[in-house]
Amino acid sequence: MNRRFSFIAAVVVAATSTSAVAQIRLPVIFPLGRSQPAPPPPGMPPAALNTPEALQSDLIVKAGTDTVYFPARGATLDANATATLAAQARWLLANPYMNVRLEGHGGADDSRDYALAIGDKRASAVRDFLILQGIAPNRISVISWGKERPGTMRIGTSVVATGPRVQTIIVPAPAPFAPPPVPGQ
Amino acid sequence: MTIPRLLPLLSLAGLIAAPAFAQEPTATVIAIPPLATAKNVETDGGKTWALANLISDLIAADLGSTGNFIIADVKKVRIPSYPEVTAPSYPQWRSVGAKLLLSGFVNARDDGRLTIGCYVYDVQTGRELARQGFAVTATEWRRAAHRCADAAYQKATGKAPQFDSRIAYVAQSGSGDSLVKRIAVMDFDGANHSYVTSGDSTVLTPTWSPKGDRIAFTSFSGGKLHIRIAGVSDKEDRALLPMAEENFAPAFSPDGRTIAFAMSQGGNVDIFTVPSGGGYPHRVTTSPSIETGPAYSPDGEQIVFVSDRSGTPQLYVMNSDGTNQRRISFGGGAYGAPAWSPDGKLIAFTRTQGPLSRIGTVSTDGSDEKIVTIGPNDEEPSWSPDGSRLLFQRQDAATRRVHLASVPAAGGEVRPVPTPQGASDPSWSERGE
Repeated sequence: MNRRFSFIAAVVVAATSTSAVAQIRLPVIFPLGRSQPAPPPPGMPPAALNTPEALQSDLIVKAGTDTVYFPARGATLDANATATLAAQARWLLANPYMNVRLEGHGGADDSRDYALAIGDKRASAVRDFLILQGIAPNRISVISWGKERPGTMRIGTSVVATGPRVQTIIVPAPAPFAPPPVPGQ
Repeated sequence: MTIPRLLPLLSLAGLIAAPAFAQEPTATVIAIPPLATAKNVETDGGKTWALANLISDLIAADLGSTGNFIIADVKKVRIPSYPEVTAPSYPQWRSVGAKLLLSGFVNARDDGRLTIGCYVYDVQTGRELARQGFAVTATEWRRAAHRCADAAYQKATGKAPQFDSRIAYVAQSGSGDSLVKRIAVMDFDGANHSYVTSGDSTVLTPTWSPKGDRIAFTSFSGGKLHIRIAGVSDKEDRALLPMAEENFAPAFSPDGRTIAFAMSQGGNVDIFTVPSGGGYPHRVTTSPSIETGPAYSPDGEQIVFVSDRSGTPQLYVMNSDGTNQRRISFGGGAYGAPAWSPDGKLIAFTRTQGPLSRIGTVSTDGSDEKIVTIGPNDEEPSWSPDGSRLLFQRQDAATRRVHLASVPAAGGEVRPVPTPQGASDPSWSERGE
């Protein structure tokens, strides 16, 4: 680190001392340490906490992950999946005005129609588990993407396909107590 | 320096290429001279003499694409005059070795349309085998040419017509998260390409109605997995079951009145039928396992479908009311995407085992399973209207681009089917009136 700074300093000194090069503006380089996050560019508002992205990250932080995985052509929940889903259910009980959409996926080597069916079966297995954990059924919707969203995961430098899984997507519920409609209008 | 080195290579290439051009022993030699015209007149589609040449070229391309024909070289033969269309001079066609002769005429009518006629003659016996006549608009001459080719094809092979047919498929553009899928329609030779859906939602598995006027497909529009039906000419589409749970995998019955499909009820996917105009769905299978991917037999009496009740996805056949269910596939791996052949004798399928997938056929009682192709992601077979070829999707191993390809149903050379973009989920159907 020190060596690099001295190098930059040397360049700056060299640049300012030579009149021909002095007209070029050198970029200012800030060292980015772990304890010092990069300051936001001027003019950008702070991230709102109630955006779907922020809610989704909150679920991931509190429940560990938003995705449970399945074996090929299987739709039963294993121990990892039930632990993840129990944590997701706790998050949902703590956030009663959030609904979820369960997106089921088939494997890349399933046929198109079978991938849609097995994705739906997986999402429904997750739905049934969340209902058993005390989540109201009308807060849960289910969709199967079949093999249309294969999904990838980065492990080190290699990208691998994730395949059979169900992802829990947070959908902010509409205002729970809408004003009653005025009769006659 | 380079030329002497190239020469042996070239001759070697010629040797290797030669067997690929060898025709099947059953091929028929047919002479297709340019069509005649009574008077060279300007029309909307061009001059009639130019059209006559285009039509004979298209007929030759159609027949040559099947492998059942050898197109005789007619360059050295005098082009038949207009009266000779109905009274051919047979010796000159025998001299080029032709067994069949296809000649015809193009005339412009006073109302701007064209009269196209064609005649198929047996050159050896001097008999007329077939004749076809059409009055078409000047821009529709391709359909008439396809019908003329069909007439010769039927006489020479005894098979059903197939050239006046269309392919519906899913056109893909972009990749990853920006992948756009649209339903597209084209003639079997790639002409008259058009899109049916706009591409703002993902669409899958288009399938033709028997009359060729509607396409049923699976759509994710509105964030809901459901079947939609689109008119091919008006491009308007509507949901088949607006209030139902997730439903997908539509298949028209041969009379076009019923659609069989898969629908989820609380995570249990079963086969249902519903009138194709909409109505109350009727549950056909009642198993707790997954039942999906239905396809009707040509007589409408039976349905082939995919079920994983045995643990892996396998093919089953049942009567169209759900009775008499029986398993017909017993191999390892996963079976899917069944399609019943037009003659009712075979069922084409996808079989995935390990990293490769295969297109195969099996007879309807489960005997004689035959693998036709093996390749990366060979999937979704669809029969040609005469049942001689299978159209399917294949992924290029290097570029990962998905495209269409066709192969003789009995196995043979795989031929790519060119499309403007990436293509998957083909459905091939004879064109109605």
